Amino acid sequence: MVEMKNVNVHYASGVDALVDVNLRINDGEFVFIVGESGAGKSTLMKLMMRELAPSSGRVFVNGYNLSKLKGNKIAKFRRSIGVVFQEFRLIQDYTVYENVAFVLRIADKSNRYIRQRVPYVLNLVELGQKARSKTHDLSGGEQQRVAIARALANDPGLLIVDEPTGNLDPRRSYELVGLLKEINLCGTTVVMITHEHNLVQDFGGRIINLEEGKITFDQTIGGITDEGE
Amino acid sequence: MRASNVNYLIKKGLSSVWRNFLMSFASFSILLVSLLQVTITVLLMMNVNIVMTNIEDTNEITIYVKEDASDDQISHINDVLRGNPNLADVQFYSKEQALEDFRKDMGEYSELINYLEENPMPETFLARVTELSEIRATVMAVQGIEGVEQVKAPYDFANALVNIKNAFSIITVGMLLTLIVVSVVVVSNTIRTSVFARRTEITIMKYVGATNGFIKLPFFVEGCFVGLMAGAASWGLTWFIYDAVYSLFTDNLTLWEMFGFFDLIPFGSVMWIVLGASCLVGALLGAVGTMISMGKYLKV
Repeated sequence: MVEMKNVNVHYASGVDALVDVNLRINDGEFVFIVGESGAGKSTLMKLMMRELAPSSGRVFVNGYNLSKLKGNKIAKFRRSIGVVFQEFRLIQDYTVYENVAFVLRIADKSNRYIRQRVPYVLNLVELGQKARSKTHDLSGGEQQRVAIARALANDPGLLIVDEPTGNLDPRRSYELVGLLKEINLCGTTVVMITHEHNLVQDFGGRIINLEEGKITFDQTIGGITDEGE
Repeated sequence: MRASNVNYLIKKGLSSVWRNFLMSFASFSILLVSLLQVTITVLLMMNVNIVMTNIEDTNEITIYVKEDASDDQISHINDVLRGNPNLADVQFYSKEQALEDFRKDMGEYSELINYLEENPMPETFLARVTELSEIRATVMAVQGIEGVEQVKAPYDFANALVNIKNAFSIITVGMLLTLIVVSVVVVSNTIRTSVFARRTEITIMKYVGATNGFIKLPFFVEGCFVGLMAGAASWGLTWFIYDAVYSLFTDNLTLWEMFGFFDLIPFGSVMWIVLGASCLVGALLGAVGTMISMGKYLKV
């Protein structure tokens, strides 16, 4: 669960990135966070993964009060969420397998568990056959899926996905959101940050719109894909 | 942390040495040169100390006994000289021995000595001063013994030697400190470049929940290993260079012996200490340099 109460983020440069934000995302939800560049989407994501602390207000994620979280507890908190970055942030000279496995090493899992879990999540994103490939040999879409597999490795309750379709063609973008929807159906809360309104409208669901750091829209709409079904 | 994961991190650190070969090689080279300089300076300092001591050992003072000194007084002088902690190898020369030596020195003119009505040579003691910097105080003390006429000491030589020794000590300690400080700075900068090249990897690890310890361990192992290798290589090179220089001095012993170059330290007698110290200092420098350089990339 994600909850923000009267959250303000004021940068030293004088910019008010978020202004009096209140939101609650329940377990199992799929939420799109949309907005133009500079609307505050990235700041919201940074708050949710505790890369940033709010200037005022309170942020709760997965039962952690991030406003008061001490430095030595951040690592443990981050292991409870999964994050997929826009630029993937994979370790380029690791293999696909190693990129996923090292997250489990961080969580201090046993070799046996790692040997079972990594192929499972790689198959989930249809990359089982590429386990031994070096990440830099993969296409953008494949790297995106490795990033998703890595984020899912620890079986997180919350998956935060930042602009996942930014580097993909429209067909791949739809496939990717379809995959995220499937993951959500398995019980994982998914928060997807994007500026692609068309994609969001096509899929439908809960949409939170940010403008100049404020939530201007927070509703659930029906999508074309839902109607098709 | 599980043993299997610690093992994994150690292997990761070791494999990083080859994965980032160029950067590892740069750190290795800098560490090697630094360690080589420090080791050679230390060995040089130890040997110069031996040479200085050898030169010191040749230093003697002459104590002339009064003409009218009694046998008891001479015996007393002998006892006091032997009891002085700063004097060694005390030898007594009687008037007769002194005259005999003088006769030998005169060579073909030694016949002239037969025309002397009485033996003019004084009874003397010879002694070696063990601590040259204390020569004045020692001479003053000897001068004060009843029955002593005069004490002759090579003050100029002693002063020059003490000054050289002091200057050498200051220069070598200064050089050593400078070398160590420069080494730490250069080594940390080289390692910082290596860590900088891998800052993305560190940031990614932080984002996915790695603790600082988890991130640092492979870097620590890598730094230690590179330092250890540099220490071992520095030891090998020191051995080679030292042996070459050592044989220069020991092959022509008679020539160098005049200048106190004997009893120098053979590398074999210190080789294991040098190996241990080089590897230990190398590993420490590598590890500390890595830890210092990583700090700012861990604040994510």
